[in-house]
Order: sequence, then structure tokens, then C-alpha cells
Amino acid sequence: MEGEEGSKFELEVISTSGVYKTPFSLIILIQLFIGGFVLFIVNLWFINSLYYLLTGIELYSVGLKAEWYYWLLLPLNIYGNIFLFVFTVILFSGGIFRILNKISPPREGIFERGSKEWKYMHRRFWTAYFPIWLARALPLPWLDIIAYRSFGTRVGRSVVLYEGYVDPLFVEIGDFTMTSLNICIFSHLIYQDKLLIKRVKIGKACVVGPHTIIAPGTIMEDFAVLGVNSYTKINQKLEGNLIHVGTPVSITLPIQSVEESQHKAVKVKESTIFDNTSQKKTDSHLQEE
Amino acid sequence: MFQPVSLKGNSPTPIDERIRKKFLILYIVIIILSLIPTSLFEFWYITLFWSETYFWIFFIALPFNVFLSIYLIQLSAILISVLFLKIIILIHNPKEGNFKRSIEDRDYYFWTLRNIVKKWPLYVTASNPFPWLKNRFTLRFYGVKIGKKTICDNSWISSEFVSIGKNVIIGMNSTILSFAIEQDNIILKKIKVDDNVLIGAKCVLLPGTIIKRNTKLSAHSYTNHNQVLEENSIYRGHPAKLKENN
Repeated sequence: MEGEEGSKFELEVISTSGVYKTPFSLIILIQLFIGGFVLFIVNLWFINSLYYLLTGIELYSVGLKAEWYYWLLLPLNIYGNIFLFVFTVILFSGGIFRILNKISPPREGIFERGSKEWKYMHRRFWTAYFPIWLARALPLPWLDIIAYRSFGTRVGRSVVLYEGYVDPLFVEIGDFTMTSLNICIFSHLIYQDKLLIKRVKIGKACVVGPHTIIAPGTIMEDFAVLGVNSYTKINQKLEGNLIHVGTPVSITLPIQSVEESQHKAVKVKESTIFDNTSQKKTDSHLQEE
Repeated sequence: MFQPVSLKGNSPTPIDERIRKKFLILYIVIIILSLIPTSLFEFWYITLFWSETYFWIFFIALPFNVFLSIYLIQLSAILISVLFLKIIILIHNPKEGNFKRSIEDRDYYFWTLRNIVKKWPLYVTASNPFPWLKNRFTLRFYGVKIGKKTICDNSWISSEFVSIGKNVIIGMNSTILSFAIEQDNIILKKIKVDDNVLIGAKCVLLPGTIIKRNTKLSAHSYTNHNQVLEENSIYRGHPAKLKENN
């Protein structure tokens, strides 16, 4: 962040958008075709036996003879087909993603609209779109994490990432973090015909509350908590072992254990019952603690 | 991804339970009518290719057949709902204004009926891998004006009384509501977004807002009822306040 532009970004506090222009729909068509092709080839042997089941004629000389238990295996086949399709699409688009990274290696910084970085970020975005859409459409919750890992994002062990928008590049998520519903983690932002790309780091065992936006350049230290419905500034640092709340984040609160907070609540109750008149005393008593 | 699972649903079309019960048959009829073209297509496909000479075409073209039938369902659902919608608009023309939220109120009644007709095609097109099909394709059939080169794929947009200009970017998870329910009243008012506007992530536009040319609305902010955002400026806050004016 150098020069006038950088200072302006810091003044403006918060990102304006999280979408690139014009979808690169052709790449989705190619991914669909590759997935369908692999599905077709793998299925040939099963269709062979199915044809035999229906008509009694052998289609190919090489093939399995149909038995009665094949009908029991049919639903398994359909479900397996879905997973085969998803995994091939994820692997293939991960390959495309790496090739795009080789052609123009991703950099952090501020770029003009229509520059090479802009174009390639936009292509990477749309290659990542379809596999993660597919992974989110299936009932397995860990599938989208595998998709993210195939694009090279660092996602730690036992991370909760069921929902929300996460950029595939320049995002690091530590072990045991939990993200809630409807969150956005941006490593890019579009501001006045300029594109800013900055790395986002989320530490170990963090909690990202629902309806939050994490702007590019934020660093969450280990055990930090981001409160509900708040968003972070660009290049903001959230300290560990604290709760951060605000739009943008400005208030910090200590994390209390359940026993501690209950103990305090009980003390307040007792004081109000027995000492209704001397409210100030109890307050000072609490402050001392 | 990108689109969270909770946002994969159709655009906001609240339906009154009292009116839904009366028009359940209409809803089912729309679903069945939209499935007829695909079943005819499948029948044609099987009769043509299921023979000993052409069986290889049957298997090679099977994946294309599946995708084509999915898109046929979506297209026919849109067209049939548009047909029903035209009939409903002939009976009662949609109006802006404040209305009572009761069954006797004719405007509220027909507003929910329109939502019932739009429900199925919006649901079907929302569950589609191509991002442009949900908003930019279907909403244009319902009379929402969306200009060229706009991006509004990952957002909720009401299906009535909305006009969006050219070259607009609407961010992730932001919602554009041309209706508001306040206790026993419902407010319907037109939202207008002009050219080259940039709306950030998670914004909410309430009914009656007008955003003029080249303005930017920062992320995580919402506008009031009937608020006017002026040209060439930046807005931010709850509700949106002027931040910078070029």
C-alpha cells in the first residue's frame, strides 16, 4: 500500500463489491462436457449388462452377464455416477486452475480494469465457480473443502465451511476454525475501476459469525471471534482471544467462560435482592474483581 | 461457491398461506404443463434411436439428452408462467402504493397470485449451474428491465417494479426489494438503478429507492424507503449517508 491510491483505499474503509464482470460461461460448458465424457466411458460396462437384462441380447463380447442382484445395485450406480461426475469436474478444473496460475502467476497489489491481472483473476474465478457449485449441491459437507484444496487454497483440519462465499486464491484458513451462515471472505475488491488483491489469514480455532464480511488484508489471530453482522476494514488485524464486533469492527470484548459469566450474574442477582438501596456498592465490588 | 446454499433459492416471493390454499391446483397445473414438452421429447428420442442399428447413437447422445431435457423443463416453465401471468394482468393491472394485508384487498390478492405463478420457474432456474439463467434470463420475461453488461447473478432481485440500467455491478448476497411488509400494510414501490452503478456486497435496497448514474453504494449498507442517491458519489452506512461527492 504505497502512494496516494493506497491511502485512499485505507480512508474508504470497506470493499464495494465481490463480483467480477461477465461470466466466462464457456469454461462451464467445457467442464460439463469433460465430466459427461468420463461418466459415459465408465458407464459403458454397466449399460452393457443393463441392455442384456432388458432384451437378452449381448451387445459386446466383453461384458458382465446380468444377474438378479444387479437391479439392487442400480441405485448405487446412479449415486456413484453423480459422485464420479463431481470428482472428475473438480480434478479437471483444478488442473485448469494450476495452468492459469502458471501462465500468469497471481500477485498482490492494485490493478487497473482491463489489465492482465484483472483478466486472469476473472478467468480463475469462473473456473472455480462450477466445481464448488456442484460440491455444495451434494449432501457431503467436506466435499467443497476438497474442491478448495484442489485449487491450492490452504484449508486446515476439521474446518467448518458449509456456507458462504470464499475466494479460492490468497486465503488461508487454520485448523478447527468455524464459519457460520451467509459469510463473505474476500481476498479481492473492486473500487472505482481498480482491483485490489491482498492476502487474508484466518488463524487456528477462530469463529466467524453469521452475516459478516472479511475484507482483503485482514489477519485474524488464533482463537479470535468475529461477532454477528459486522465487517472488517482493509488490512485490519484482529487480536486473538477476544471478541470483535462493529460495522466496521471497532469494539473488542473479552471471552468469558460460561461458569465465570454465570457466577457474575448470580452475584448481581444476590446483591439486587438483599441490597436494593446500595447499587453503587455492588458495582464497585464487581469492578474490583 | 460462491453462492451460499441459503441463497440458491428463488428470488423473494412471499406467498400468503390463506391465498396459497385456493390456488394449489393452479400451481400443480403449471408444474405438469411445463413437464409435457420434455416427456414428448423423450418419447421421440426413444422411438427414434432405440433400435438395433442406431443403439450407439442412443448411448453417445444420452448425456446431451439429459442436459437438453433439464433446459427444456426450465424454458417451458418460464413460458407457461408468462402465459398465466399475462392472463392475471388482464384481470387486474399491477399498481404501486400502500395496501392492506387482507384477502378482501384486491391488489394484495393479485400480488400474491402473481407470486404463486412465478414460484415454480424461479425455483427451477435457481438450481442451475449457469449463473446468468436465474436473474438475467428469467426476470426479463417478467418485465424486469435489466440493461446490457450488468452483473446481478448472486443476488436476490424482486420480480416486479425493478429497473436496472447498463453496466451495473451488484455484489454478493445483496437484495433488491420492491415490496415491504409493515404490520398490516404492504408497500409496493418501484426501484430504479441507473447506468454504471456499483452496489456492494450484502446491501439492501428498500422500495422506492432511486440510485442515479455513476454512484457507488458501499458494502453492508441499506437504503431507506424512497431514498434518492445522487450522481457521482459514494454512500455508506445504516441507512446510507453521503460519504464523498466527486
